[in-house]
Amino acid sequence: MTGEITFGQYFSGSSVLHRADPRVKLITSFWLIVVIFVCRNFFSLGVVALSALISALVSRVPAKMILKSLKPIVIILIFTAVLNIFYSKGGETYFEWWKICITEKGVNTAIFTMIRIISLVVISSILTYTTTPTALTDGLERVLSPLKVFKIKVHTLAMMMTLALRFIPTLIREIERIMNAQKARGADLETGGIVQRAKALVPIFIPLMVSSFRRAYELALAMTCRCYTGGEGRTRMKQMKISFRDIMLILYCAAATAGIIILNIFFGAVI
Amino acid sequence: MSYVIEAKGLSHCYPDGTSRQVYAVKNIDFSVEKGELVGIIGHTGSGKSTLISHFNGLLKPTSGQILVDGEDIWKDKETLRHSRFKVGLCFQYPEYQLFEETVFKDIAFGPKNMKLSDSEIKERVLRAAEYAGIKKELLDKSPFDLSGGEKRRAAIAGVMAMEPEVIIFDEPAAGLDPKGRKDLIKLIRDYRDRTGSAIIIVSHSMEDMASLADRIAVMNCGEIAMQGTVDEIYSQGEKLRSIGLNVPEITEIFASLRANGIDVPSNVYTIEQGSEILEKLMGGVHHDR
Repeated sequence: MTGEITFGQYFSGSSVLHRADPRVKLITSFWLIVVIFVCRNFFSLGVVALSALISALVSRVPAKMILKSLKPIVIILIFTAVLNIFYSKGGETYFEWWKICITEKGVNTAIFTMIRIISLVVISSILTYTTTPTALTDGLERVLSPLKVFKIKVHTLAMMMTLALRFIPTLIREIERIMNAQKARGADLETGGIVQRAKALVPIFIPLMVSSFRRAYELALAMTCRCYTGGEGRTRMKQMKISFRDIMLILYCAAATAGIIILNIFFGAVI
Repeated sequence: MSYVIEAKGLSHCYPDGTSRQVYAVKNIDFSVEKGELVGIIGHTGSGKSTLISHFNGLLKPTSGQILVDGEDIWKDKETLRHSRFKVGLCFQYPEYQLFEETVFKDIAFGPKNMKLSDSEIKERVLRAAEYAGIKKELLDKSPFDLSGGEKRRAAIAGVMAMEPEVIIFDEPAAGLDPKGRKDLIKLIRDYRDRTGSAIIIVSHSMEDMASLADRIAVMNCGEIAMQGTVDEIYSQGEKLRSIGLNVPEITEIFASLRANGIDVPSNVYTIEQGSEILEKLMGGVHHDR
């Protein structure tokens, strides 16, 4: 059960992307994802897809891991592709039968959307594969810190996120434990209709809630004991520093964006 | 003699992603007779928990068999389900499984799953509560309002109410104070004496085991390293130490007394035994200090 979750999973390594500043990685990933939606034709989209491919290669995360992160969206991919093929009409007609009609535009849009979604997922999963959850939330806290002007407690939000990520595996183990205990008391979790199955979850969820609250309380106590008082006046053990490679990353994104805009203008829009 | 529960050549290996296979338990032959109280000891990671999770079919053996009443529990789905009722498993810190609105309802969860009649359920709950030492007035309370020790006993009653032929306790006294430990051990032994069901106890505590078990199995690296009566096992201090266990402290004290030429028996495993012998030895001399 624990092994199936890939989202937010860190893959340790020492590539350029691993060592890059988390703030810069957050910004550049977000930047590229926004740019995906600026692309109007296959050439400009190619730049983004290529960027995703290059960063996958540079990160040295095994292809298997990246494919694994694509697994959950296979259904979404197929669904959007099918919808696009049948609903976008225009250009040459490839196939026509009864009410079903496949046109050039349909095929193009389907492929275009698929590449878009895949690039989006690859870019974001490379971000999480190359950045530890702590570094990620630290980075997020710093990137969002301008929001403090609007009285948003950025530090608290980031801390909450770190803790949530930290406790996912713990809670999964807890669920397994409670499930075993209730199964030993003859709880039947596998058979019956939807209503019955939903009812069968009660003996799992209540103990889980109770122990989560207990854990939360204990954790809060432990944090207080270690003099945690929130973000005010808190210093960091790991100071974040922008280095040469970070500047290169930003420059790369800027260049890619410029290229995409030019390609958008020079070649006609596909969608 | 027929066995209530029997493991035959039981092995279980966890896949670890590589082609190498890691055996959590390996080639275990182990059986428990009706009414027996057997202890399983072993250091952390010796395979105790994996072994007991097989006894009621929470884990499926990689090879080998688990027989309950002489029947392979993995024969079909129905047998597996019934084996859960015949073999009660009480996990470490069982109080974390409580969930119902009242203690009564929580204890009734097991019997309810057995699809018994309401009157039968009520009878069993009251009986189990009595075995587990839960006062009647607690039955209508929420299990979350009980004290730590009461919660533990309520959870144990939840297993007892299924009236299984064997109950397996995994570290039943973990996290309890000395008095709680003692009470719980007495409770388990009384339960066995009154119902005649077999009991398997997994524990680290050599001393608790000495005062409780008829027979002890020592596990090491997924295998049963030693098996025998308390005397047979505890007299092999050297071997126990070599697998990371130890004889009770009181036994060591008596061993050094013997080494110093004082004539005391070597088979002293509990403090009660020890203090009795010492009192006799000192001939009723009173120390007014």
